[in-house]
Amino acid sequence: MQRPWADRPLGMRDIYPEEARRRRDLENHLLAYFERHGFAQVSSGALEYVDSLLRGRPSSQAAAWIQWFDMSGRAIALRPDMTPAIARMAAPAVGRGRIPIRWCYAERVYHRPADPALVTWSSGRPVEWTQVGVEWIGERGTDVDCSLLELCQGALASLALQGCQTVVGHAGFTPAFLEAAGIAPDEVKPLLDLLAEGDYVGFRTQAARAGADTDMLAALSRLDPFTGIRLVEALGGRWRMDAPGAAAAEAAWRELVSLAEALRRRGLEAAISFDLSLYRSLPYYTGIIFEVFAPGVGAPIGYGGRYDGLLAHYGADAPAVGFSFEAERLLTALGEGEG
Amino acid sequence: MLTIALAKGRTADDVLPLWRRAGIPVPADIDDSRALVFELAGTPFGDLRYLLAKPVDVPTYVQFGVADIGVVGKDILLEYDRDVYELLDLGTGYCKLCVAGRAVHKNTRPRRVATKYPRLADEYFRSQGADVEIVTLSGSIELAAVIGLTERIFDLVQSGATLRANGLVVFDEVLDVTARLIANRSSYRTKRAELERVVAALEAVLAGQEEEMRR
Repeated sequence: MQRPWADRPLGMRDIYPEEARRRRDLENHLLAYFERHGFAQVSSGALEYVDSLLRGRPSSQAAAWIQWFDMSGRAIALRPDMTPAIARMAAPAVGRGRIPIRWCYAERVYHRPADPALVTWSSGRPVEWTQVGVEWIGERGTDVDCSLLELCQGALASLALQGCQTVVGHAGFTPAFLEAAGIAPDEVKPLLDLLAEGDYVGFRTQAARAGADTDMLAALSRLDPFTGIRLVEALGGRWRMDAPGAAAAEAAWRELVSLAEALRRRGLEAAISFDLSLYRSLPYYTGIIFEVFAPGVGAPIGYGGRYDGLLAHYGADAPAVGFSFEAERLLTALGEGEG
Repeated sequence: MLTIALAKGRTADDVLPLWRRAGIPVPADIDDSRALVFELAGTPFGDLRYLLAKPVDVPTYVQFGVADIGVVGKDILLEYDRDVYELLDLGTGYCKLCVAGRAVHKNTRPRRVATKYPRLADEYFRSQGADVEIVTLSGSIELAAVIGLTERIFDLVQSGATLRANGLVVFDEVLDVTARLIANRSSYRTKRAELERVVAALEAVLAGQEEEMRR
C-alpha cells in the first residue's frame, strides 16, 4: 500500500502539543524540586563509548543497547541510562576530593527495539524514553539513604500522586543470606538472576536443589526490618552465626533496621515497605535497592539504589546512591499520558 | 478488586477445577458463556474479575497491569519473555515441548523445522549445534512434516495422539510444560495481601495433591 506520509522509525514516538507540554512541565517540576533540595542539573550527550558504559556491568547488558562505530572505529552506543555518564563526569572531581556531589538530570535514554507490540511507554519496553533522576556521590550511611528515599517520596507528594508504594531490598543482604542458608557460592548468582527476573517458581526449585531446607522466597519476603528484631530471632533456631555469609548478612540487616528506624522517625513508613526478595540485576549495587510503584501503571515508575563500587571503575573510588523516575510512566500514573 | 486473566479453552478447563478446589469463586457460566469478562462481587477473596483471553495474550494483559494475575503455560512465558512475576507452578496442563517428525528422518541432519515457538526452537537447535531454517506457523504444525514442508516440527505434545494419527514420532523431548500463576510486577507490590490470599489457597490445594501422590 502506498502511503503519502513519511515514516517514523520503529519504537520512536511523536509527541503532540498537549502531551509535549505536560512532559516538559513534569521534567521542569521534578528538576526544580531536586534543585530546591540541593541537587544541581547536569547534562551530557546521548552517545557514550561502549567500553565506558560497560564499566562495572556485565557485557550481556550491551545486547539491549543501540550501538555502532564512530569514525575512529570505537564502539559507541546511545546511553541506556544516565548513571554511567554521571560516574564518568563526576570521577575527576571526586579524584580531586570535591565531594559530596549532588546532581540531577532529565534526559532521553535508549534501548534497542524489542517486540514491536511491546514498544510502549506505559508498561512495555520503549526505544526512547525520559529519565528524571538524581545521583548523590561521596556520602554513605543511614541518614543519606533515608534522605534519598525521602527526596523520592517528597517528589511524588509534590506531584500529588496518591497511593504510591516504594519497595526496598538490599543488594548485599540477599546473596549473603542465601549463602548463610547453606547454598554454595557458585549457586547464589543464578538464584539472584531468577529473583531479578521474577521467576519465583524457578527460584524455589533451584534453591531446594542447591540445598535450602525451607522456602527461601517466603523467608526473604517475611523478613521485615521495621520489626527491629535481630536476624537470629527472626529466623529462630535455623540461623547459624558462624555460617559463611552470616556476618555479611548480619551487617546488612543492622543497616536495614537502622534505615527502618530512620524512615519511621521521618514519618515515611506508610509508603515504604521492605521485601528482601526484591533484587535488581545490575552487579554494581552494594546497598539498598528499590522500586517505586503507582496505581494504574503495570511497571515501576522509578528505580534506585546504592552503588558504592561503581565510581572506582571510572578512576575515583567513592560511595554513591541515586534513583530515577520514568517520566512517561509517571505521566500515565498522573492520568495525563498515554492511556 | 483483583483481575484474573485466564486462557480460553484448554487452560481454563484444566485450571477451573483447581480454582474450585481452592475455594476461589468462579462465575457459574464461565464455561459456556460467550462473554469475555466476568465479575463477582463480595467473595471471600474480595471482588474478583475474570478475563478470558487467547493463551499467548494472557502474559500481555498481565504485563500491562490490566490483569493483576493470570494463568499461562510455561511454553508461552519462555517464548515471549514478558516482564511478569512467576509465582506458582500449578502442575496442570501438563505436556512436553518435543521435536518430532516422520520416522525416516530420525537420524538425518535437521534442516527445516516448523514451529509456533521460533525463539525456543532457535535456542534449542543452536544448543545442539544444528543450523536449521525455522518456518513459523500458527497452528496444526504436524501438517508441515506430513506434507514435507519441513522434516521436523518443534511443538507441544500432550497425549501424542495427533502425532500418531499423522504418522509422526517424537525425536527428542525438550522441555516439560505446566501452567503457571503469574502476577503483574506492580500488583504484586501494591496489592500484596489480596494476591497472597489467592496464592495461599492455591498452594494449599497443590500441597494436598502432592501429599496424595506420595501415599
